[in-house]
Amino acid sequence: MPRKTIRICTGLLFAIAFTAQAEQFDYPETNPFMATVAGTPNELKVPVPDEVDVQQDDLAVRVLPDRKLPPALSNYRDLHFRVAWHDEPAPLIFLIAGTGSGYDSSRMDYLKRLFWQAGMHVIVLSSPTNHDFIAAASNSGMPGMGAEDARDLHTAMSMALDKAQDEKGFEVTEYRLAGFSLGALNAAFVAELDTHLGQFNFSKVLLLNPPVDLYASVGRLDDLSYTRIPGVSDNDSFYEHIFQKLSRHFAQRGNSDIQANLFYEIQNSPEALSDPELAMLVGAVFRFSAADLSFMSDLINHGGRYVPADKELKVSTSLTPYLRRALFCDFSCYINTQLWPAWEALNAGRTIDEMAYETSLRSLQAFLHDSPNIAAVSNADDLILTQNDYRFLADTFGERAYLYPHGGHGGNLDYPQVAERYMDFLQGDAQ
Amino acid sequence: MNPVYWISGLFGCIFFTGTVLADAPNEYVNYSDSGHELDFPAYHDPLDELDIDKSETRYQFERSSLRALNVQDPLEGMNRRIYRFNAQFDQHVYLPVVRTYVWATPKVARKGVSNFFNNLKDIPHLGNSLLQGKFQRSAETTARLLFNSILGIGGIFDVANSMGLPQQPEDFGQTLGVYGVPPGPYLVIPFLGPSSLRDGTGKVVDWAIEDNVNYMNNRDFMNDYQATWGIWAIDLRYQTPFRYGALDSPFEYDQVRYLYTKLREFQVDN
Repeated sequence: MPRKTIRICTGLLFAIAFTAQAEQFDYPETNPFMATVAGTPNELKVPVPDEVDVQQDDLAVRVLPDRKLPPALSNYRDLHFRVAWHDEPAPLIFLIAGTGSGYDSSRMDYLKRLFWQAGMHVIVLSSPTNHDFIAAASNSGMPGMGAEDARDLHTAMSMALDKAQDEKGFEVTEYRLAGFSLGALNAAFVAELDTHLGQFNFSKVLLLNPPVDLYASVGRLDDLSYTRIPGVSDNDSFYEHIFQKLSRHFAQRGNSDIQANLFYEIQNSPEALSDPELAMLVGAVFRFSAADLSFMSDLINHGGRYVPADKELKVSTSLTPYLRRALFCDFSCYINTQLWPAWEALNAGRTIDEMAYETSLRSLQAFLHDSPNIAAVSNADDLILTQNDYRFLADTFGERAYLYPHGGHGGNLDYPQVAERYMDFLQGDAQ
Repeated sequence: MNPVYWISGLFGCIFFTGTVLADAPNEYVNYSDSGHELDFPAYHDPLDELDIDKSETRYQFERSSLRALNVQDPLEGMNRRIYRFNAQFDQHVYLPVVRTYVWATPKVARKGVSNFFNNLKDIPHLGNSLLQGKFQRSAETTARLLFNSILGIGGIFDVANSMGLPQQPEDFGQTLGVYGVPPGPYLVIPFLGPSSLRDGTGKVVDWAIEDNVNYMNNRDFMNDYQATWGIWAIDLRYQTPFRYGALDSPFEYDQVRYLYTKLREFQVDN
């Protein structure tokens, strides 16, 4: 080959190598189930300050003065939330937790520290599907409808902000909004609602691993709890199976000193959990959230599905029998037996698909497409997305869709390559 | 220059870079319906590889969870009241005190305090390792006591841990368990939290061991200077990561009860 050709060819190769380099995504966990369960290994996470070094407090507001709760659940009368603030005027970001997660979950704490460290005040709220929010701040007591949940959240946000500023006296320069998982879907609906209300005029809205069609996503998570696991027969308990693995691991290891990186240690041992087992774990956690949701919602609405309408739950009353029954109701069951009848009563003649559409991001497509201040982060192997959902994110958000090849459901949000990009978006002045 | 060389060279080069691209680990696809030019990582469905039960009798989750709820708890009413009391005490008194402690002291000092009290607990750990016939563990705990008490200046530094001898707790509840004593009814103890008849009894025995051995005269010292009991109590909570409400469920009591029971079974077996 003549020298000139070689030069061109090398140049081309370099150019390609360089582009590939720029796009190279090196998040180490390529297994979507591992990423979802364990997240980024500690030493690779974006460093954030220790909890004790964050100026923060937990506060509570009474959102629904007329809500009656039995003594067993009286600690949910007020809506609790967490605020981290700076002494100087700064932007404030509201952060909404995902399905069945509270304002104090560890993922929220991490994101809170990340935002706080970047100079924002942060207010963290529980998911509208979490038991505390249902009890304290859900007007219908029946979360799962995009527009209604957004109204509940918007009210809760205003009240939380007033309370936090009253107590802590910080100044806000502009408002931002972020949510994780179902919280991201909630954030999209709240952002849309706020354009009509003009309360916060969010400068940036960040959707972290949103579902697109909520009911499809919860169906997928329900499905995980029906994963067949080799070695677990129709008479075995899945939890016992996991505990036995742990037990064998420790017997093998010789001492029972539990280390912080226990999970990674196990995953590198012969007793490593398989993909179906990890999937089942994710599914089981989700089913417990669904049981909480179904139980709380029924209780607030006096549905009598679990607790008889005339029975008062005292502090000493055993809730175990109700949990036993609520366990049978997965999230799709909640939608079909509780949400749908209530919606149908108000929307005679309309179908369940229409209800699903109203709570999917598809109903907001034009708004999301045309709002340069809204971005979405997700992964090509996010457990909650179908191919069409994923395509919707890519198509609707375009260059504001930060989509990565792997990371499962939110496993890479604390990874530098991912976090730096969405933090740049939040901090940038592109409007 | 021979153009044939040139052209064939270029083809070779295109072919070569083509292979390089095809081998790139991540495939990128244009997902646009509305005509933008952007490529995104190709979707793949993690659920495809799972065998998901579609039968009518798919009760794995229910079966496992229902079994987990079968814990012997005849005193449930009282337990639930104490549980609520503990949660409120924790929220309004205990945690605020611990937060003040954290605010007022540097981390090294807190670590030293924890190490000091943990070193004392190696006395009942040693006694119980011996009672269970775990001789290697007993030898290791003896070594820990010696290293930490002498080189670690009365236990303020956990030098043994850095030497590869981590603490290996063994309590009298575990010892009873090893000899086949069942846990008995579940108990929630005021201030201390989840326990069982067996483990609660075990705590009393461990306490008596510490009292009688009076290692490095610590009990005499602490009784003479009562404020040290306050530090002991604060450190106890400081070292316990559990937070009420962290399980995010109206059924927290049930979940804690199961997890405590499993944890103890697990500790007895290991």
